[in-house]
Amino acid sequence: MKLNLIVRKRIAVLFLIMAGFLFLLGARLVWIQVVQGDLLQQKAMHNRLREVRVEAKRGVIYDRNGKELAISVSTDSVGAFPSQVKRSGRAEEIARELAAILEMSEKDVYERITKNASFVWIKRKIGFELGPKIKALNLPGIEVYEESQRYYPNDSLAAHVLGFAGIDNQGLEGLEKKYDEELRGDAGRIIIEFDAVGREIPQATHQYIPPTDGNSIVLTIDETIQYIVERELDLLMEGPHQPKSAAVIVMDPRNGDILALSSRPTFNPNLYNQFPQSHWRNVNVSNAYEPGSTFKILIAAAALEEKVVSLEDRFYDPGYIKVGKERIKCWRSGNPHGSQSFLEGIENSCNPVFVEAGLRLEEKQKNLMYRYLRAFGLGEPTGVDLFGEAKGIMIPENELRTINLATISIGQGIAVTPLQLVSAVSASVNGGYLIKPRLVKEIRNNDGEAVQTFEPEVVRQVISQETSRQVVLALERVVSNGTGRNAYIPGYRVGGKTGTAQIAGPGGYQQGKYVASFMGVAPVNDPRLVALVVVEEPQGIYYGGTVAAPIFKKVVEDSLHYLGVPPQYNKEELEKEEQAEKEEVVVPDVTNIDPEQAKNALGAVGLVAAFQGQGQVVVDQTPKGLAKAKKGSRVLLHLGTSDAGAPEVMVPDLTGNRIREAADLVEALGLKLKPNGTAGKAVEQDPIPGTLVLPGTSIIVTFQEEEPASPVLGP
Amino acid sequence: MSVEEVKALFIERKVLKNLDFILIIAIFLLLVLSSLVVTSASQSVIASRPYYYAQRHIINIMIGLVAMFGVLGLNYVHLAPRQKWIYGLMIFLLLLVLIPGIGQDAKGATRAINLGFMNLQPAELAKLLFIIAFAQFLSDRQNQLHTLRDFLPAFVYVAVPMLLIMAQPDLGTALVFIGIFFGMMFVGGANPKLLTAIGGIGLFTVIAGIWIHFNVVEWLPLKNYQIQRLVVFLDPYNDGRGGLGYGFNIIQSLVAIGSGGLWGKGWGSGSQVQGNFLPEHHTDFIFSVVGEELGFVGASFILLLYLFLIYRSLLIAFQAKDMFGTLIVIGITSMFLFHLLVNVGMTIGVMPITGIPLPLLSYGGSSMLTNLLALGLILNIGMRRQKIVF
Repeated sequence: MKLNLIVRKRIAVLFLIMAGFLFLLGARLVWIQVVQGDLLQQKAMHNRLREVRVEAKRGVIYDRNGKELAISVSTDSVGAFPSQVKRSGRAEEIARELAAILEMSEKDVYERITKNASFVWIKRKIGFELGPKIKALNLPGIEVYEESQRYYPNDSLAAHVLGFAGIDNQGLEGLEKKYDEELRGDAGRIIIEFDAVGREIPQATHQYIPPTDGNSIVLTIDETIQYIVERELDLLMEGPHQPKSAAVIVMDPRNGDILALSSRPTFNPNLYNQFPQSHWRNVNVSNAYEPGSTFKILIAAAALEEKVVSLEDRFYDPGYIKVGKERIKCWRSGNPHGSQSFLEGIENSCNPVFVEAGLRLEEKQKNLMYRYLRAFGLGEPTGVDLFGEAKGIMIPENELRTINLATISIGQGIAVTPLQLVSAVSASVNGGYLIKPRLVKEIRNNDGEAVQTFEPEVVRQVISQETSRQVVLALERVVSNGTGRNAYIPGYRVGGKTGTAQIAGPGGYQQGKYVASFMGVAPVNDPRLVALVVVEEPQGIYYGGTVAAPIFKKVVEDSLHYLGVPPQYNKEELEKEEQAEKEEVVVPDVTNIDPEQAKNALGAVGLVAAFQGQGQVVVDQTPKGLAKAKKGSRVLLHLGTSDAGAPEVMVPDLTGNRIREAADLVEALGLKLKPNGTAGKAVEQDPIPGTLVLPGTSIIVTFQEEEPASPVLGP
Repeated sequence: MSVEEVKALFIERKVLKNLDFILIIAIFLLLVLSSLVVTSASQSVIASRPYYYAQRHIINIMIGLVAMFGVLGLNYVHLAPRQKWIYGLMIFLLLLVLIPGIGQDAKGATRAINLGFMNLQPAELAKLLFIIAFAQFLSDRQNQLHTLRDFLPAFVYVAVPMLLIMAQPDLGTALVFIGIFFGMMFVGGANPKLLTAIGGIGLFTVIAGIWIHFNVVEWLPLKNYQIQRLVVFLDPYNDGRGGLGYGFNIIQSLVAIGSGGLWGKGWGSGSQVQGNFLPEHHTDFIFSVVGEELGFVGASFILLLYLFLIYRSLLIAFQAKDMFGTLIVIGITSMFLFHLLVNVGMTIGVMPITGIPLPLLSYGGSSMLTNLLALGLILNIGMRRQKIVF
């Protein structure tokens, strides 16, 4: 049988139809694979790639000499891929093993590793030791990653400058926050191929995009000077004054470099969350206070520049000055300074002299004083590289009355931050140039090449070189002849100004609450350092010259030696120095013996014991055993364990001593000094010499004559 | 075996020279490609036994080839008188699988009978049995298919197996019967206008019915998932779960094929396949694997091989010595084409998800056996295209 034609035709038609259908499929394939291929390719990528962030190493923060202040160290973190954990069916066993190693609760670990997420951290930053242990267990779905952790090798050193970075290496405070973008770097990624159910594909490529480590920053801070400052602040806080807070700034007036900046209370940035947030506060830039007499430097500078006074101009101090209806008393109103030159007025820190000078400025031209204060940078943030800088408080020009100008002239009725004052005084002594305070010198990349350099920035010239010279010399006189005697440093010409201000509170100035400060410069012939010491609410003695000036002296003296500024001793000093060097002794180690024995041991080699805390045993000492110390210097002994029966101490004869000397003596015996009267030499004491008292007893000493100190305000 | 039969067998040896070796080469080429693709596709299915499915697949091919060549020995013309038995066997098998305890449940459907060495899907074999029976059915009614009334018995003839298969339920395979039916009816001499009209009306009715089901009233007796699978290809992201429901398969398949690009990602390197993003990738979605790993070049090569297969088969239909043979070949070719269209169409997003395998390429014993048996039948018919006279 032959197929008929119709059937053959239909078979042909059928073939064409079938071929047509196949052609359509082919066309569709062209569309998907050739035309849309790239788009769908991306979708496929997206389907199977998971990313795990790899934190960049945060850049290093160096001091000006390249010493590391903040570094990043590698540490392990443990993460889990829950889907893999669940798939293994060993979740409980894994949780148990990890919990034991990580010291976490089993339940907590279990919840994390079975969470409905593609990736979870179990515990981060666990150090170096646990990671290998966990890796060795080879648990399914558990990975150990290397992360970096911020570490501050000097603990609390420069804590307020550095700030700190959080768990994700994000800057949270201080320079860490300010320069976060530079320091942070760019995170890298581990790109892992996963299948539809979250299984890692064994042979798949694990693309590792390495992180770009952050840039490093070089500070103007000098680790050594910072250390000196920190040491002195610690001694102050531990010492008898027991202030509420304290702050020190050391600046190089030639370029505005902040060499040291510290305050108490402080914190350890490695353990920042164990400290109250109030400790994180950088009072040097965020806290405005009434500067008191230290402010007189700026008034003197302005008045001399405007030639409304000269250093030789004569003034008469009857113990007060009348401004309108009000009277502003001199701090020594009971024993007025009488007739004096302007220079002597500066030495004496005589209030009426400065009020007069201030008012003369205003007489010459309205708002002239304010123009100078603003030119010195007051009322505006200094622009230092830190967050939270205060601009200080100034009475607005339109509300300004003469009495305000009068009090501002003696540093009351105006509030400045310590940094503003340091910056302004630097301008007064460096030839008149206001320079923006500098904290960061340079930003460096990973290869150590500078990518950005910050040059000193002169804002403006405020006073002339000539005037600046006069101010410095006048300040030197304050230290050599006047209220700033305790800041005197053998071998260096030091200038400075004390300040003692009552703290204003609601309803006026608060009785018994003072800010003692000292603002100084050295060496006078070529200023290298400007330093401010602010001590808030010291207990007992509150005079700037007594509480703050010695700290200035120690800081600046050690710093000048450290900087290699050659001392220029006069003959008398030279002899003293030689004598002192000869008398240097080795400090005996007196720890772990009883305080009385320790005191005797120290006394035997000519050292004075100063006790700190209470207890029957010396637990620590500063300086440490085997260190060298000058004869007659103090060794601070920290006592431990409770003290049942403290040995009695004989009250020494303090008559003829100045406040500081008396304080040293009394303190060395573990007693407290309660000065009565302003300053000068001790004339009377209670209890009388020779009395046996318990350590910690207050000795009330009456001082008289000479030493000026605090302004007590009229209104 | 009688003397006559032995003689017949001897004589038939001579017809081997008429065997379509070119078609056999094409089949072997497809089977080699199939082995490669299934091996790549299935290695990620059971992680601990990456070659489990590959081994099974090769065994299936071997069984199928034995069947294909074995069936050559049997002269197809002897099948014609046994039309009713064949049809009866088909119905018997389709009923057998529906009996609880005999049919094996899988994914909510009862499709297979466990024979011990393999799970036989009667529906697969039923297609072939139907083609043979229906070929004789149509041969008997040549030039008698002009009116709708003439068509009715044919409708009944095809409806019975379809309904039985839908009862499993296996909608995809049931629909294959429609493809077979139209192909065979057309070549079998049915009124083409009427056939086109019926096809057109039928298609329209289905579309309208589904449209009404979704937009007016739910009236279709189909399970919800079946309906979803039928329409989701139109917009795979609109599957009620933002592309993670029934649209997921289609999206993943499109991504797989599309990302293969012109040359593919290479054998064993398709991320969609190896990452298990692609569902059922060694069975229903095998073509997506081809598209991803072998690219447009590989995919279109396979389509061309199929076209060649169809061409050679239709050539045999053309030359067959009787209408019965022609119609068997047409039926088988139509079945292939329908599978091809619906399966490949599904993977490239132009056809509903019906879950029918790609002939010769997909993993699956029943399907492989049926398809190779069918090809054996085509070869058989081609081999015996000449009436041999002694």
